[in-house]
Parts: sequence; C-alpha cells; structure tokens
Amino acid sequence: MKKKILASLSVLALGGAIASAPAMAQNVKVAYLVAITGPIAGMAPTMVQSMKFAAEQVNAQGGIGNGGKLDPQVYDSGCNPQLATDAATKAVNVNGVIGIVGPSCSGPVIAVANSVSVPAGVLLITSSGTSPKISTLDDKDLVFRTVPSDDYQGRALARTIRARGIDKVAITYLNNDYGLGLAEAFTDEFKKQGGTVTASRAHEDKKASYRSDLAELAKGGADTLVVFAYGNSSGLTILRQAIENGFFKNFVGADGMRDEGMVKTLGPDNLKTLLVSAPAGATGTGFEKFSKDFKAAGGDPNGTFAATSYDAAFLMALAIEKAGGDKAKLPQALREVATAPGEPILPGEWAKAKKLIAEGKDIDYKGAAGDQEFDAHGDVPGDYVLYKVGGSGFAEIERMK
Amino acid sequence: MASIGLINYATFMGTMIGIYAILALGLNVQWGVTGLFNAGIAGFFAVGAYLSALLTAPPSPERIMGWELPVAVGWLGAMAGAALIAWPIGRICLRFRSDYLAIATIGVAEVIRLVLRTEEMLSGGARGITGVPRPFGGLEYSLSQFAYFALVIAVLLLVYWALERQLAAPWGRMMKAIRDNEQAAAAMGKDIAKRRLEAFVLGAAVMGLAGALYVHFMRAITPEAIDPMISTFLVWIMLILGGSGNNRGAILGAVIVWLIWSMSEFVTDQLPADIATQAKYIRVFLIGLMLQLILRFRPEGLLPEESGQRTASLPPSPR
Repeated sequence: MKKKILASLSVLALGGAIASAPAMAQNVKVAYLVAITGPIAGMAPTMVQSMKFAAEQVNAQGGIGNGGKLDPQVYDSGCNPQLATDAATKAVNVNGVIGIVGPSCSGPVIAVANSVSVPAGVLLITSSGTSPKISTLDDKDLVFRTVPSDDYQGRALARTIRARGIDKVAITYLNNDYGLGLAEAFTDEFKKQGGTVTASRAHEDKKASYRSDLAELAKGGADTLVVFAYGNSSGLTILRQAIENGFFKNFVGADGMRDEGMVKTLGPDNLKTLLVSAPAGATGTGFEKFSKDFKAAGGDPNGTFAATSYDAAFLMALAIEKAGGDKAKLPQALREVATAPGEPILPGEWAKAKKLIAEGKDIDYKGAAGDQEFDAHGDVPGDYVLYKVGGSGFAEIERMK
Repeated sequence: MASIGLINYATFMGTMIGIYAILALGLNVQWGVTGLFNAGIAGFFAVGAYLSALLTAPPSPERIMGWELPVAVGWLGAMAGAALIAWPIGRICLRFRSDYLAIATIGVAEVIRLVLRTEEMLSGGARGITGVPRPFGGLEYSLSQFAYFALVIAVLLLVYWALERQLAAPWGRMMKAIRDNEQAAAAMGKDIAKRRLEAFVLGAAVMGLAGALYVHFMRAITPEAIDPMISTFLVWIMLILGGSGNNRGAILGAVIVWLIWSMSEFVTDQLPADIATQAKYIRVFLIGLMLQLILRFRPEGLLPEESGQRTASLPPSPR
C-alpha cells in the first residue's frame, strides 16, 4: 500500500516537473507568489490580474531579450509562512525562476527571504509586505518592496498633524502588523515633534462595541482621536460610537480609513473633522496611465495593492532586461532602472524602455504607485496626501512631507 | 542544474515532513494511544517555537530575553516550556471527556495565539521574532538545507524510537487500557487522571519540539505561522489518514498529506491559465476528499494500530 502510493505520487511529481519544463530556452521565468487562499484571499484576484497584466504588456511589446517571453508562474502563498516557503522553494528549485514577485503579507516575506530566496540568491520584490521588520533583514540587497513601510506613513502623518497645530492626541489601532506599525511610528515622531500622546490602545477587529475602549482613551483629556484601522470594519464602529457619545471632537486616520463607504454610512456632515492620509499614487501621471490601461483590460486599478503589484511585476521585468537575464546582476539592475537619473518610463512603456536599455541609456521607472525610488534597504519612501471629507468622498488638502 | 533543484525541493519537503511527523507523533501519544482529543496543537507548537526563538535569538530592545544560547538548549527549553504549559491545562481540562476536551483545547490554543500576537514585550507582537539562528546556517544554500534536513530526520528517528519504547512498555499498555475501558482500568487500581495527564504533557512536549525545529528552519516566527488550519487540523488529518495508535502510521500520514499538499500545485498548474489560479483551492479539496475516503473505507487508517499478541485474533476495539 505504502509503496504503491509513494510510487504513484512520484510519477505525479515527475510528470509535473517535466510538463512544466520550458518550451523555449530564452524564455524567462518569474514567480508571482500571491495569497490566493487564506485570510486575504479577497484581494488576491486583483493582485494576480495586475501582475499578469504587466507580463502581458511586456510580451506584447517585444518580450525579454532577443525574442524571449516573460513566463510568469503563479503560486499560492496563503498569507502563511509554511505555504509561502513551500511555494518559493518549488518556484526557485523546480521551476527555476530567476526572480520572485511577492509573497503577500509580511510574515511570509520574512520567512521566504530568510529561508529560501536570500540563501538561494534570488531577487524578491514584494508588493504587499509593509512591516518595518522587512527593512532590517540581512538580505544581501535581494529584498525590495514597491509598497511603503508602515513606518513612513505614520511619521509623515505625525509631522503633518503636528504642523497643523494639534498637540494632544489619543491613539487606537487595530492589533495587527498594519495598525501596530503605524501606531509606533506615529507615536515616536509625534513625541519628537513636541506633541503629547495621552493614551494608546490596541483593539481587536469586529467587536460590536468599542465604548469602553473609547472611554479609557478619552480620560487623558485629548480631543483628537487617531484611528489606525479599516474604515469598512472596526474603524467604522469606533468613529460612529465616538461621535454618538461625544468622546472626541477631531479624528485622524491613515489610508485604511480612506473609505468612501464609511463616509456614506456615517454621513459627510458628521465627518467634517476627519483628516486621513493616503498614498499619493492615486494622483500621479504614472497611476493615470496604469489606471486607463488596466481598466481597458478589465481590471480595477483602485483595488488594494493593484498598483504596487503591477509595479513589482513591471520592475522585475525591467531588471531582467537590464541584467540580460543574469540572476546575479538583478539587484544592481533593479536599482539602475528604478532610480533617478534616467529617461522616465511610465507604466506600460515597455517598448520604449527596451529600446533605451538596448542603446545602453539609463532609465528611471515612474510607477503606478509612486516614483519607486529605492533606498539602501530596498524600501520606497512613499508619497502621501492629506485628505478631508468633501461632498460624498474625499478632497485633497495638502501633500505631506 | 535541474536535478540539483529537484534535490533542493525534496530536501525542503523532507524537512517539513519531518517536522509535521513529529507533531503527528505527539498527537498520537495523546489521541492515538490515550484517546485525548487535543484540538489545540497549534498552541503547543507555538510555545515551543517562540520559546526556542527567545532562547537562541539575539537580544532586541523591543522584547524580553534573546539570550543567544546554543540551539540545543533552545530545543530542550521548547520541550520543557510546552510541557510546563500543558500541565496546568491538563489539570483543568482533562476532567472533560472527548468533545468537551476538544473545545477546551481549541480555546487554550486561541488564548496562546492571541497572547503571542498581542504581548510585544514577550513575542514581538504581530511582527514576530527574526534573526533566529539555524544549525549549519552558515553553509551554502543546498548544503545548509540538506544538513538541517538530516538533523530533523535524526531528531524524528530519536523521537520515534523513544515513543516506541515508551508505548511498548507497561505504560503504553496501561494507556490503551484506559482509552478502551476507563472503568475497568480504574477498577484495576490505575490512577486515571494522573496517567492521562502524563500522556497529555508528554505529547505536548513533543509538539513543542516540533515548533522549535520549525522556527530554526525558517529563522523567524510570526503569528501567521500558528494558523489553526495549517498547524492543528492538517496534523489531525495526517494522523487519522496514517492510522492513529500507530507511530509509523503517524509518520506515513505526514508524508502523504504533505506530498499531496505541496505537489498538487504542479498538477493544477497544467490547467489552462484562466482556471489555474482558482484551481489552487483544489489541494484543500483533495485533502478533505482523502479524509472522507479514508474514514469511509478504511477508518482505522492506512497503517492500523497493531494489537498485542494475546489479543491478535480479536477484532479491533471500537472507539
């Protein structure tokens, strides 16, 4: 029994390995690791679609190198380190990919970088891992991300709020890496700027009432509440109960609170004192181009991580082209194509980029989610805008620094 | 190149299978031999993983410990820690029978998970612990993977050997007697509560060891890793499929379930691109289907429990 099962399984495995061998030698394989199953499965279809869309554009406009194609392999990373490392091991060792786009969620990024991609010398660009811990990994310059670390937004928001004359706040944050990262960075920077944080409390998602949390937070005497949560979930309940019971007068949130459904539910008149920050990507020329093209291809450019996923996949292709398909040169090539100076390349301008690379000219990718200028850690600084509620949606007030 | 890649992949799978096999062996002591329905495997796995990480990782200003002790100390500490946590839980929960015990252990595992997620000083909170050393971690990728694989298999064999001895001893027969007929065993003068607690603590220590092996393999631990689906129910499926009550069955179950879990992705990738993405769910379905088929046609598992010599002619006792 045991032998039979093992035998049939190994046949299965061999069949899989042979059938997935490359059809053309000069094709270049990259892995797209996305949490197709698991807790963020709802975001996955858009992420996969936008990554594949980037690959389609590359292949439609001349492909990679001399007549080769970009061959994306989609794997399920499940927002779980066991599954993500398994998928990455398969991608690197069995299918021979030279770069990884993904995985989704911060924990899997750390596990994959630590135990698979960095030891094997494979370039990794994540489009959705936002934990500040990713910056400090010992990564031999092989881990990059197109989504800003939560650290940046928290600090930028703290400076902006402080500059607007608010000096005393209470903070409540969703107890996950997103909420925690924002709250820590915000608190640190706000104190450095001379502000006072009267109270800071984590909250769990999906509770029916946060009144006791709010009562505790209001004790410190601050009239501004900073909410790092999602406007379609705990953030909505907290705002509603804080307004109903008059715990706080002013409200501040980050990109998770920039939710138009929330404005509709609570009514724009009740939210006149709400300020939220969000990545500026949604206003740049890069995003406009991506938005138009992606919509025409049937995608939703405003989907969570759609723009960052597109950038990660497109940048991976640019780096492969620049490095001539040489795995060892990829990190250096990625820095060259992504950062200034150079001829600006917008999303989808593959033919132009390919021509410039062939001529040996320097290019600078201006992505859908921002300029994508990597720092020494492989992080992008992110470009943020402060919004207030206007009409039934959000209106821009100022660019944050 | 391709063959080295396949070897690397096989090594990775072998390591994961080894870790899961140890988890399944721990569960076998509790469920297979003693009949304790522990649905909180992830909790003991997590205690082992975090404790070993804290003992061996470099210090960090944002959390406690980080003592940079040798990895072997981390492993022993993981076993001791998981056993220490299991003891009071067992004292309280083991008075419950079967399904009530299952609910209580699920609750305990969730408590452990939420504490580890929330207490930043203890566990790094939602960001977890990074920089955990791996034995032979300084070697080149393939060699390092292979060396750790060999280490995990050595530990697995050691655990298997120790448990086989323990179960072949009078202790093992006594546990089976308690499982199959509690009143009879009590009438023979056995201290049921104490013996069940022993099995519970022993199984938990083995699960803690598996957690420690895991954290040094990944060099990091975050709360996502103690997801109940991956760390509890997958182990149950392995044990039931392989054959509960039989240590070799527990190992075989881990081999089969992980192979299917991991390799089915190659098969679904052969489907047209439009449905290949959706087809990733097939492996979840396959595991469920296998469990259904096994329970329907071979409820004792692929390698059923071996009954003792004297009772060899009797049919297996009903659970």
